[in-house]
Amino acid sequence: MVNYVIFETAYGYALFECLQSEEIGSKLANVQKAVQDLAKFGKTVKLKSFVPFKNAAHALENANDVSEGVLNNHLKNFLDMNLPKPGKKKSPILGVVDKNLASSIKAELGYDCETSEIVLEIIRGIRLHSDKLLNQVKEGELVKAQLGLGHSYSRAKVKFNVNRADNMII
Amino acid sequence: KAGVKGGSKVIIEPHRHPGVFVARGKEDLLVTKNLVSGESVYGEKRISVEGPDGTKTEYRVWNPFRSKLAAGILGGVDHIYIAPGKKVLYLGAASGTTVSHVADIVGPEGVVYAVEFSHRSGRDLINVAKKRTNVIPIIEDARHPQKYRMLMNMVDVIFADVAQPDQARIIALNAHHFLKNNGNIVISIKANCIDSTVEAATVFAREVKKLQEERIKPLEQLTLEPYERDHALVIGRYIRAQEDK
Repeated sequence: MVNYVIFETAYGYALFECLQSEEIGSKLANVQKAVQDLAKFGKTVKLKSFVPFKNAAHALENANDVSEGVLNNHLKNFLDMNLPKPGKKKSPILGVVDKNLASSIKAELGYDCETSEIVLEIIRGIRLHSDKLLNQVKEGELVKAQLGLGHSYSRAKVKFNVNRADNMII
Repeated sequence: KAGVKGGSKVIIEPHRHPGVFVARGKEDLLVTKNLVSGESVYGEKRISVEGPDGTKTEYRVWNPFRSKLAAGILGGVDHIYIAPGKKVLYLGAASGTTVSHVADIVGPEGVVYAVEFSHRSGRDLINVAKKRTNVIPIIEDARHPQKYRMLMNMVDVIFADVAQPDQARIIALNAHHFLKNNGNIVISIKANCIDSTVEAATVFAREVKKLQEERIKPLEQLTLEPYERDHALVIGRYIRAQEDK
């Protein structure tokens, strides 16, 4: 069973601790049910730490790395500071939604990662209740951050000048 | 003046689907309330009507020959699930013409996450999103939803017009990541894009079967005649977890 999950947002990185509870346990069907109900789900996952991005450029840099499954220094420091060290007798298991990022974390930091259906279900729950669970982020701020990052991420992908129409060669 | 002439002769009535309207004049037109008054997005006609209190409201004409969602509405689909305040994930946003109408429908309280992979259409999409701040442009491959997970919230509806042979898989992947339990899916299927060797009806039936295998319960299916050939709109519900009885 996972002990922590990493939740990447347009506003910053969040690390949630998964508290073991008998009600939920590790049965997928139980997790699915619990996720619907914030009162129940809020007792299962607890925000351990949140680090916002410094500015728009910093957010874009991180979004590019996350989408490619690259573990950059910012995320590395964040995990290093907030997770118990690996290798001790109770090594933490980190839930990651993306397999590529999971293998980067395992290779560079040594944490055991899980990318199972249960992890996806927990992330779905966090995403569903993110306004309530990320108490540092005011309601509506997350969508605003998504809008800003969506534009800068997409502009960078398109690469050309978006203000210029094509010169057709006929 | 670009708008439709005859101001006071046109009467706007709400359509059965919330957020969609019908302009009754010399001919009836499907319209949406323009989120950015005074501007067309792709050269479509605009209609301005004066309310009883003298305030003007502008509507944009929605052409069923250019939008499969509009064709579905005129074809009499029961529910589109896209309504004011809803969060929509739009896969295959192209240049953003239909996206702009979806943005009009969901209004300022709603959000449209518009995913398009082609850079050429993507540029137009970004420009549409600049004017409509409830549209979040995402230039990325819908086959890899984890790549844009940082830009997403959970959504109420997925609308898909991706025209790819593996579209059922693409839609399911996105639903698993971002669609609320019991959320809805509206899919446009172009038979030729999936398999051009068999009849359209066979393709539609196969696609519906694929969706069922991915926890998507089909609710409704209609062809888009006379606006499109061999196209169908399929509407379903994503049942990830069964409700307690």
